[in-house]
Amino acid sequence: MYKLFRRHSKCMSRPSDLIQGTLDLLILKTVSLEPAHGWAIAKRIQQVTDDALQVTQGALYPALHRLEHQGWIRSEWHATETGREAKFYSLTRAGVMQFKKELAQWERLSNAVGLVIRMV
Amino acid sequence: MSLSRWREILRMRFRSLLRRKRMERELDKEFRFHLEQQTEENLARGMPPAEARSAALRMLGGVTRIQEECRDMRRTNHIEDCLQDLRYAARTFARSPGFAIVIVLTMALAIGATSAIFSVIDGVMLRALPYSQPDRLVSLFMNGGDFPKFPLNPFDFRDFRDRARSFESLAAYTRRDVQLSGSGQPVSLTGFAVTSGFFHVLGVKPLAGREFSRKDELPGSSHVAILSGQLWRSRFASRPNILGQKIVLDAVPFTVVGVMPPGFEHPGNEYHAVAYGEPVDVWTPFVFEGANRGSHYLNGIGRLKNGATAARAQGELDAIMTQLGRQYEQDRGWKVLAIPLQSEIVGRSQRMLWVLLAAVSVVLLIACVNAANLLLARAAIRQREIALRAALGARRSRLVRQMLTESVLISLTGAVLGAVIAVGGVKALVSLLPANFPRASDIHVNLAMFLFALAVALATGILFGLAPAWQGSKTDLVRSLHEGGRSVAGGFRSVRLRNSLVVSEVALACLLLIGAGLLLRSFVNLLRTDPGFQPERVLTASVSLPAANYKTSETVGRFYRELLARLASTPGVSAAGAGTDLPWTGYDENAGGFTIEGKKPSRGQEFHARYHVASVDYFRALGIPLRSGRFFTAHDDKDAPLALIVNQAMARRYWPGEDAAGRRITFEDHPKEKDWMTVVGVVGDVKDTPASDGAEPAFWWPLLQEPWPYTEMSVVVRGNSDTARLAVEIRSAVSELDPNLAVAHIRSMDAIADDSYSASRFTLFLIGLFALLALSLAAIGTYGVISYSTNQRSHEFGVRMALGATPRNLMAFVLSEGMKLAVTGMVVGVLCGLGLGRVLGSLLYGVSASDPLTIVAACLVAVVASALACYVPARRAARNDPMNALRAD
Repeated sequence: MYKLFRRHSKCMSRPSDLIQGTLDLLILKTVSLEPAHGWAIAKRIQQVTDDALQVTQGALYPALHRLEHQGWIRSEWHATETGREAKFYSLTRAGVMQFKKELAQWERLSNAVGLVIRMV
Repeated sequence: MSLSRWREILRMRFRSLLRRKRMERELDKEFRFHLEQQTEENLARGMPPAEARSAALRMLGGVTRIQEECRDMRRTNHIEDCLQDLRYAARTFARSPGFAIVIVLTMALAIGATSAIFSVIDGVMLRALPYSQPDRLVSLFMNGGDFPKFPLNPFDFRDFRDRARSFESLAAYTRRDVQLSGSGQPVSLTGFAVTSGFFHVLGVKPLAGREFSRKDELPGSSHVAILSGQLWRSRFASRPNILGQKIVLDAVPFTVVGVMPPGFEHPGNEYHAVAYGEPVDVWTPFVFEGANRGSHYLNGIGRLKNGATAARAQGELDAIMTQLGRQYEQDRGWKVLAIPLQSEIVGRSQRMLWVLLAAVSVVLLIACVNAANLLLARAAIRQREIALRAALGARRSRLVRQMLTESVLISLTGAVLGAVIAVGGVKALVSLLPANFPRASDIHVNLAMFLFALAVALATGILFGLAPAWQGSKTDLVRSLHEGGRSVAGGFRSVRLRNSLVVSEVALACLLLIGAGLLLRSFVNLLRTDPGFQPERVLTASVSLPAANYKTSETVGRFYRELLARLASTPGVSAAGAGTDLPWTGYDENAGGFTIEGKKPSRGQEFHARYHVASVDYFRALGIPLRSGRFFTAHDDKDAPLALIVNQAMARRYWPGEDAAGRRITFEDHPKEKDWMTVVGVVGDVKDTPASDGAEPAFWWPLLQEPWPYTEMSVVVRGNSDTARLAVEIRSAVSELDPNLAVAHIRSMDAIADDSYSASRFTLFLIGLFALLALSLAAIGTYGVISYSTNQRSHEFGVRMALGATPRNLMAFVLSEGMKLAVTGMVVGVLCGLGLGRVLGSLLYGVSASDPLTIVAACLVAVVASALACYVPARRAARNDPMNALRAD
């Protein structure tokens, strides 16, 4: 079980982390399927990976806010099925393209890692 | 980055800044939602409600920290901090308004004055001339021996035009006023005779019609003229069919072939100067007649080719002159001077402007020092508050930034007020400018001035805020937060800093005082020098006789004899005369080379002096005294032997130690008896300007013996009392004799004399104003610092009084503290003031830069002001009840 933590840094600049980039990708993918609020995103990731990846709130919400302020996703408040008001995130047009780009990067990276791992 | 993404980003930034409250609420809501979902999940798993909630909270982790991180993602930290600082600064100033008002007013005055002076400098020196590519324009002069800046000869100029390669185009022009007659009153027009391509050199196209061509320069060509836009509008009602119309100039019909646009600026000229920016009404073609290479009267102007420099062009023209010198005797030994047009126009007033800018910068500096001192004192008072903030976790850089924001806020507010002051200041300055100040019409309040004020505000805000911010943010937490801490505010180093600031203030003020004192003495010296003539109650006017109607010297002489006879017999007139080149109205470098009976010039030297014409009573009307011999009489006419009057400068140069009366000179190479001119009288010297070193040698021909008919002369009338109505007399006398003549430039000699002093007076007034301002600011600064330190030390004074010190002792003590600072500042100021000579240079007259009287006087003023500034706090300290003082703090 891997927990995706937010690396605690003194200066609040963007940590250029592999982990942070991966989290972005996960969020973008989840949101691309359908608009969802933060809780739902975390739950969905947990479900799909069969509890292998658990996104903590300390990592999720800053990531969501960062993506929103960078213009990849936008938010809307409306009611859930249970009637409560929640903040739903969805992809922007620029976000769609960014997602495709990050996806391609990830695939390139994972292929490369795979090659190294499988080398004899 | 795509446009839509930018839109999203900007939208989020706006929301973060302007809808903070709503965003905070949403953040809260988002986390509460998450909490509720987690609680529900826990409940669903079977936890009891209370535990469900607390477990959820634990899982959520440090909410505050996560929320902070989310806020950081908004990327508006810096702006938010800045806004917070501004709000805080505004609040603190609202709490102590008196303090804020004092600093803001000081900065407003200083920034306003500096911006006004900048506006003047911008209009005069920085703004490009209104011609195309003005940096390629140069003014051309001849340079030879005694005459470093002499006009050009027409035929030399024509050779330049044909042969020079460094220039794209060349043109020449000379003053030629004409009289417009025909419909209505005859009027005298300011005019210039220009060669073809004159406007082309400047890069200005006519509004209508054409420029002059080479054909128009040929003798005998038809008479054509180009009008100025203003003349077309005022005299011809902007008639659309003006081209081809005939107008009568100097009794000769001219055809109008062109009209220049109304904004066209004359580039200025020497000799019968029309300053840059003054209106020129009409241009006529310059006609090349004859072949005389001896007379010089043209101004030259040229447009350099791309890449050529003035120096190279000058070298090329020098080479051409050498070639010409081999061919023509009169061109031998002359060189050429090429000066960029902008420096030619502005040159004379440059020093004055830089001095003014330096002086106003000193005032600005003193204002900044005052502000710094006040802020330092205030930072010392706020030690506790600052220590608290530091204890709560504020970093030093944050504290410094916050205090800098305060000082920048002060200076920006000061700049806004200062801009208002500057607008009024510029208007006042323009109205006070001395006569003939170059490019006065180009001085406007514009965007550049406001940007300058803004830049100065930012720079000074940081400048005077830095030291207090640095000092103030240095906190000794323990000492400051401790109750009843009786530290001298800020400690020893802070006191030393403030004292040295006061010393620098006094030094700067002293410097300005010395400068103002020197200028005052110069001005007084200028006023006291004998002008050489008596300008009171003298009226002058300019009369021009068109050559077409007055072809010979006889007709000219007869006209003036009649006119002067009429004027002399008018009641209220004590003397009436006519002559050329009135005192202090500009000079003409016309110089005749002559032979002196019985003297031989040394090698390479020539006898020359300026020549003029004068009627019988000319000198009497002007009040120029006779030193020996006699004035002209009515008998000095065409039939009498040739007579001359010389001035003392000429007499001293060519007949040193002897009486020049009775000596003879001639202009002919092989003179017969009738060609000799006898000096009949010597008159007193009149300098070119009040500040000139000495008069130039000059002589006068009698009006009736003038060697060629002078078309334009000045009539001089000395009245017994009121001269204003004499203008009417002059006009009617002239129109009686010839109704087609115009009388122009009616001015009193008093006004002309006044104009000549105006530059000196202007500089003195402004520098004096700045010096006073500087002194007041320095006094306020001294008062502030002494007062503050006295307050701080009131406990100590209480102890002293208890131990037996009398109030007088205390007063003396405080005064001595203050005077120590003032005297140190004075000494520094005087030492710097010794270098003022180089700065003021030609602005000084008759007084050396290290004039002891001025320095002592300035020091006295500074000492008295400082003493007054220290007096009030001293009295307060002395009056203080020792019991109160001991109990306080």
